[in-house]
Amino acid sequence: MSSIQPQASPPPMVQAAGVSKWFGDLVAVSDVSFSIGAGVTALLGPNGAGKSTLLRMMCGLARPSNGSLTVLGKDPRADVAVLGRIGMAPQQEALLDYLSGREFVELAAQLHQVANPAEAARQAIQTVELDPDDPRRLATYSKGMRQRIKLAQAIVHDPLMIALDEPLTGLDPRQRREMIALFHRLGAEGKCVIISSHVLDEVERFGSRVLVIAQGRLAAEGDFREIRDLMDDRPLRISIRTDQPRALAIALLDRGVISGCRLEADEVVVVDTSDPVSFRRAVAPAARDQDASLLEMRPLDDDLESVFRYLVGQ
Amino acid sequence: MNTHIYRVVVRSQISTGRLLALAGLSGVAILLAFVARAADDPVEFATRSMGTFGTNIFAPFIALALGCAALGDLVEDRTLVYVWLRPVPRHSVATAAFAAVLSVVGPVVVAVMTVAAAITGVDDLLVATTVATALAVFAYSGIFMALGLRFKRSLLIGLGYIAIWELLMSRLGDWFARLSIRSYPMSILSDATDVSMRLADRSALASYVVPLAVGLAGLIYTSWRLSRTEID
Repeated sequence: MSSIQPQASPPPMVQAAGVSKWFGDLVAVSDVSFSIGAGVTALLGPNGAGKSTLLRMMCGLARPSNGSLTVLGKDPRADVAVLGRIGMAPQQEALLDYLSGREFVELAAQLHQVANPAEAARQAIQTVELDPDDPRRLATYSKGMRQRIKLAQAIVHDPLMIALDEPLTGLDPRQRREMIALFHRLGAEGKCVIISSHVLDEVERFGSRVLVIAQGRLAAEGDFREIRDLMDDRPLRISIRTDQPRALAIALLDRGVISGCRLEADEVVVVDTSDPVSFRRAVAPAARDQDASLLEMRPLDDDLESVFRYLVGQ
Repeated sequence: MNTHIYRVVVRSQISTGRLLALAGLSGVAILLAFVARAADDPVEFATRSMGTFGTNIFAPFIALALGCAALGDLVEDRTLVYVWLRPVPRHSVATAAFAAVLSVVGPVVVAVMTVAAAITGVDDLLVATTVATALAVFAYSGIFMALGLRFKRSLLIGLGYIAIWELLMSRLGDWFARLSIRSYPMSILSDATDVSMRLADRSALASYVVPLAVGLAGLIYTSWRLSRTEID
């Protein structure tokens, strides 16, 4: 695991020690340990990495197969009372469609025994920029509205720990900005806001502490900028289309900016580099020296999956 | 019991299809009652039809449709999380769901069967039908609510249970009959009118206690299952 020392943080609200979760032969989460305190923390990883399973375990919806996981010092599976301090917006779109948005959020407030459920529901719905007086049933809500009403029911009881599974899916850019501002506000209020996402740029905007989850393992953790640097430093495989592939490959090898190459077609050479920054600086001068035309250059493994694979291997 | 969850489950149970099934089966019960009234031996015909239709078909099928849906629909559409992820004791969730099933299935099925018994004109059958149907509803509702939480295809499994166990296997011998819920309410009807019916030879005490115990067992299992299950 690539470990970057986090800055001094408040006492942890969520603590996982050697947590694993498997479903039959499938290992969804493998020996993950971390602690999360107040503020916004992002769980970053590709689809199927185990983020949702981790969030479900944090909220007591699933039991770790091994290890221990506590929220506010309690086991959320065993202690029903601690659920009163947890708010969660799950990933699935399904809602209690026969209720109106107001009824749905009010139900959450009632079950959490909020003093004035109607008023709390109204405020939570307004916080996510929906109309608390909208009488329509949830079945008629758009995807973005469903995301926001899920968020409203997660915060209506003023929880200390808020787990949000891909909460920005389906929101337009303005709504995303508003929601991200809301996450920051909640984090600044001392709440532990945990947000899962598979979108790197989205997490960058959270500007938060990041736990990178890949293949069920904790691949890296720390400040987002440090994680980003770590990702940028990883080796890359790049396909170059040029009219002089052999000469260009030799020139790049001579300059020591690639560690290997393979001619793939008449005009294509695939190179491996462990120093992408130097490679980018060297490739144009090398082409000029060889009188070669650079027709196309594209990374072959720049997708998020390969980034995470690299981090897991570190 | 949690009244907020009770209200949610009641609302989730009501659908056009289920209301049509209720209306259709209610119509059949009333029709059978009029046929019994005009029969040569109204006591025997009425006892058999109330037993065969009321406790073998009407009560179990309506309890199946609504009992399986009570928590099963929430599991199926992955919305149980919105009930489960609250600081509410699991037995309170189960009790609310059970009360919701009983309060929808019970009044309709029991009232229709009581009216049907009244229509037959067989006085001895009136109270017996009310009690037998109520006990059948209680037992089947408990079983099918638990089934809905436990299995994804609970409606199919429940149909299989009614068709294979309750209607077929129970005829294979006394041991099988004892494990068939319908034999208990049928015994109450049989005792009331002295009409002999296959399976209806359970003791008076067992006829009352076993359906209550089965319904409660379903409720207890549901509570236990809610505290153990992993929520999707």
